Amino acid sequence: MPSVSRAALAIAGKDIAIEWRTKTAIISGLVFAILVLAILYFSRDPTAVSDLDIAPGTLWVTFTFAAMLGLNRAFLLERERRAMDGLLLTPAPRSAIFWGKFLGNLVFVGTIEAVSLPLFVLFYNVPVWNRLPQLILVIAMATIAFVAVGTLLSAMVVRTRHAELMLPLLLLPFLVPPLVGGVQLTASLLNNRPLSEVWGWLKLIGAFDIAFVTVAALLFEVILDE
Amino acid sequence: MTSAPASTPPADLVLSARDISRRFGYRRVLNTVSLELYRGQVLLLVGANGAGKTTLLRVLAGLLRPSQGTVTHSAAVGLVAHDAMLYDALSAYENLAFFQRLHGGKDPARIRALLDQVGLADRADDRVGTFSRGMVQRVAIARALLAEPTLLLLDEPLTGLDERTTRIVLDVLTGLRDAGTAMMVVSHQPTDFLGVATHIARISKGGLTVPEPFTTASTTAPLTYDGA
Repeated sequence: MPSVSRAALAIAGKDIAIEWRTKTAIISGLVFAILVLAILYFSRDPTAVSDLDIAPGTLWVTFTFAAMLGLNRAFLLERERRAMDGLLLTPAPRSAIFWGKFLGNLVFVGTIEAVSLPLFVLFYNVPVWNRLPQLILVIAMATIAFVAVGTLLSAMVVRTRHAELMLPLLLLPFLVPPLVGGVQLTASLLNNRPLSEVWGWLKLIGAFDIAFVTVAALLFEVILDE
Repeated sequence: MTSAPASTPPADLVLSARDISRRFGYRRVLNTVSLELYRGQVLLLVGANGAGKTTLLRVLAGLLRPSQGTVTHSAAVGLVAHDAMLYDALSAYENLAFFQRLHGGKDPARIRALLDQVGLADRADDRVGTFSRGMVQRVAIARALLAEPTLLLLDEPLTGLDERTTRIVLDVLTGLRDAGTAMMVVSHQPTDFLGVATHIARISKGGLTVPEPFTTASTTAPLTYDGA
């Protein structure tokens, strides 16, 4: 029997290889991200609201909805030709399926964020370079919470008839705390304010990371059994 | 099988199912099914649509929990189902390599040998999405054999296959039987399995008849029975 880590890496590697070849989710995610950034940029009134005020919200709206397009795909892959049954027939620990999908989704969402962030800087001309490591830390922390709960919920809804519609409906309420935290922290960083001002938000996102990852990993096997 | 040959030693028992029932909501799909399979036995399972054949296979494979009863296997189980359980975007080789890793192995030679066994050695690096139904079915059989199962469960393995592919699949199954693999095959065409199956049982309304030896005469008997 393979270890959880080996099986999870195999599953994540398989998902990434398939996405690399088909490019269906990544292209739709990136096109969506560019469209959102462009539309929100051209629809703003710079004389009424400064770029620095609307940029954090724009960034997180872009990340959230672009990434959601890919989270659904992780388990839709397993629905084609009932490949999930093939996974369940192997002696690999069932928790490895969660961790494999979680890792694959992290790579997918991370790629969208890595491409969207420079475009965001380009559009909004915001001063991120001197606070880039901190900004990346905030994005990574919020993304972990987002992807953990997204992976769990996409496994739940994949067998429903309208999986693509169900995921955002179920996922968005869970995302409110980490997303609000991400927006607050990003605003603080872009305005060059000290992180100590929003230290509470950072701790909150950290707590959500731990809670979401733990609960998602524990509930995943229950969902598979159902 | 419940009618296992008296000469078969218990050590050769591969599958034992005791009083399995399975419900979906209020609908009982399997009704106290008991079954034993020994090494080298090939049980052909026939029955009308909706009789419970596929559900029985999924319970025996461990993909569905029985509502009642127990299933025990002596070793690894392979399943060839309606759906191939493969990824279209990966090649035949990559699919098998992936599932082999999940079985804890890494043996390229074994994958090549399996693809050769099912007659797909020359298409190993082509994507499964470009394959015909028969080729996909052969990759599915290779996937099911990755862990060298002592019990192989097959659900309509010949559906949609042409004559040549049917022959290849039947040759593979015959070779496995002779090597001691126990099999349970669901089919609507018993005549296809003359020379391969050793026993036949009928399933109707979730109930299973006692398996009996499979002969030419078996192929003319009705596919269903009313004893459930």
